[in-house]
Amino acid sequence: MSGVSGGPAAPPAWALLGCSTGTAMASVCIFGLFDLQALVGGLWSVVAVVLAGLLCRLLARRVARLYEVCPSSAGLIAQISRALGRSAALIAVIPYLLLTLCLVGAESALCGLVLARVLPIPAALGSLLFLCATWALCRRGVRLGQAAQAICTGALLVGLVGLAAILVVDAAGRGALAGLLAAPTPSLAALAAATGQALFLFMGFELVTFQAGGGAPERVRSVLGLSVGLLTGFYVAVALGIACLPVAFERGVLAAPQLLLADHGGGRVALVAIAAVSLLASYTSFNGALLALSRLAAALAGQGLLPRALARVEPRSQVPRRALDAMLLWSLAATAVVLGTGAVLPPILAAAAAAAAMYAGAAVARERAPFREATRGPVRRALGLGFAACLAALGLGAVIDAPSLRDRLAAAGMLALAYGAAAQLARRAARRRHG
Amino acid sequence: MKTLYQALETFIAAYHARPQLMAELNDWSLRIVLRTEDLAEAVAVRIEHGRAVALERADAGRADIVVTAAATVLHEVLALRMSPNEPYLFGELLVDGPEAHFIRLDYLVSTLCPG
Repeated sequence: MSGVSGGPAAPPAWALLGCSTGTAMASVCIFGLFDLQALVGGLWSVVAVVLAGLLCRLLARRVARLYEVCPSSAGLIAQISRALGRSAALIAVIPYLLLTLCLVGAESALCGLVLARVLPIPAALGSLLFLCATWALCRRGVRLGQAAQAICTGALLVGLVGLAAILVVDAAGRGALAGLLAAPTPSLAALAAATGQALFLFMGFELVTFQAGGGAPERVRSVLGLSVGLLTGFYVAVALGIACLPVAFERGVLAAPQLLLADHGGGRVALVAIAAVSLLASYTSFNGALLALSRLAAALAGQGLLPRALARVEPRSQVPRRALDAMLLWSLAATAVVLGTGAVLPPILAAAAAAAAMYAGAAVARERAPFREATRGPVRRALGLGFAACLAALGLGAVIDAPSLRDRLAAAGMLALAYGAAAQLARRAARRRHG
Repeated sequence: MKTLYQALETFIAAYHARPQLMAELNDWSLRIVLRTEDLAEAVAVRIEHGRAVALERADAGRADIVVTAAATVLHEVLALRMSPNEPYLFGELLVDGPEAHFIRLDYLVSTLCPG
């Protein structure tokens, strides 16, 4: 066989870890943690995070196996396609990507609230500035370096964990810790819904395969596991800090809760510092999402699955500018809906359900050729499929347990639209392939 | 059926017939290896300042980017009958290498074969 002398240089492990955790961490995750606190309360929100972390740890092993056999930087769409076919891959992955953009609406609404706290501008203007600045940088082809992304992620991690530690130590000093962490035992259904919702906190950890650039599968495997461990530790620490806050938080109310942590944990300096690292973390998430999704949209447009105009790549910046423009419009609309209605929870719940469904698809793919080992027995296979069913059910549970009928219907509507669009794309792809 | 080497020669001829595209990639220098996963063929192309300057054995040096696919897929792409986006998206064509090179390679091939 003709060999290749020396493979391409892969990014260092720390850069992959920064990418994986940085994509998952965003302001909307802190909002999600506050919502978990309102849903199950006290230490139970920590239990929900740990359960979701354990599920993602199991999932990370499956994603690592998919990458080992099919080391594609296109990620799960490529790997699910190899096992389940193109239509199934499109139906599993496209809703996740569409709802990620809806989540951007929630994220930029929260960024607007953060900016409005530190600058004399209204929240809507802050959101607009955040979206347009990020979009303009992407349009010029500006990509955040791996070191910069790792630094932003590290700063947010250290800052929020530090504030949470101050709150926990303060509560312990007042002898109030046990009382604050104690909460009535939730029903099994409520705990399952909280766990399903907590899955969304980890959304994006698997996107490390986008950046891995064919890196050694063992390294991708260890980065995926480390990333889930780091995220679980971070969310547990912040959830404990939130449980120690001397304020009640109502489910579904639009607010930037990381600023509450700063208000109670460190005053004005902490407030400005947390606002700055929150915005940077949001920027890294949105920048990555815009660039990755616009390339995907351009690739789909190139195949005639979306309007052809979106496929055009600008020669100088080498980014698909029209696809980026379409992403901006979608994000602006999603932000306007969140700011106009105050409904920040539906995109989170819908994204949680879509993420759980896509992860379930990945778990099913892992049990099929070419990913299933010849030696894998029927019991392990059945357990793997059971794991997939469990993920899908947890995601659905998060939507069913929404705090109001309005939130439930809005989340279900978003899911219906996203899966409808994905089914339409899958139909077009099949027609194009066979016709 | 052509060999991978011959298919790559045809592709490079099509690329060199587009001086504007070469000019856009003037600051791009790297070594690309193409490898078929089923026929065990591999060949490398060295690009300097946007121009393909040498076709060589794959094991003659370090690859900056490695493209792997079934022989039929690679031949379709090199003959500009198929956009690489489609097999890439669905895991039938793998690209191993830094994102910066990947984006430029994607731009080059997508411009030559828009869909």
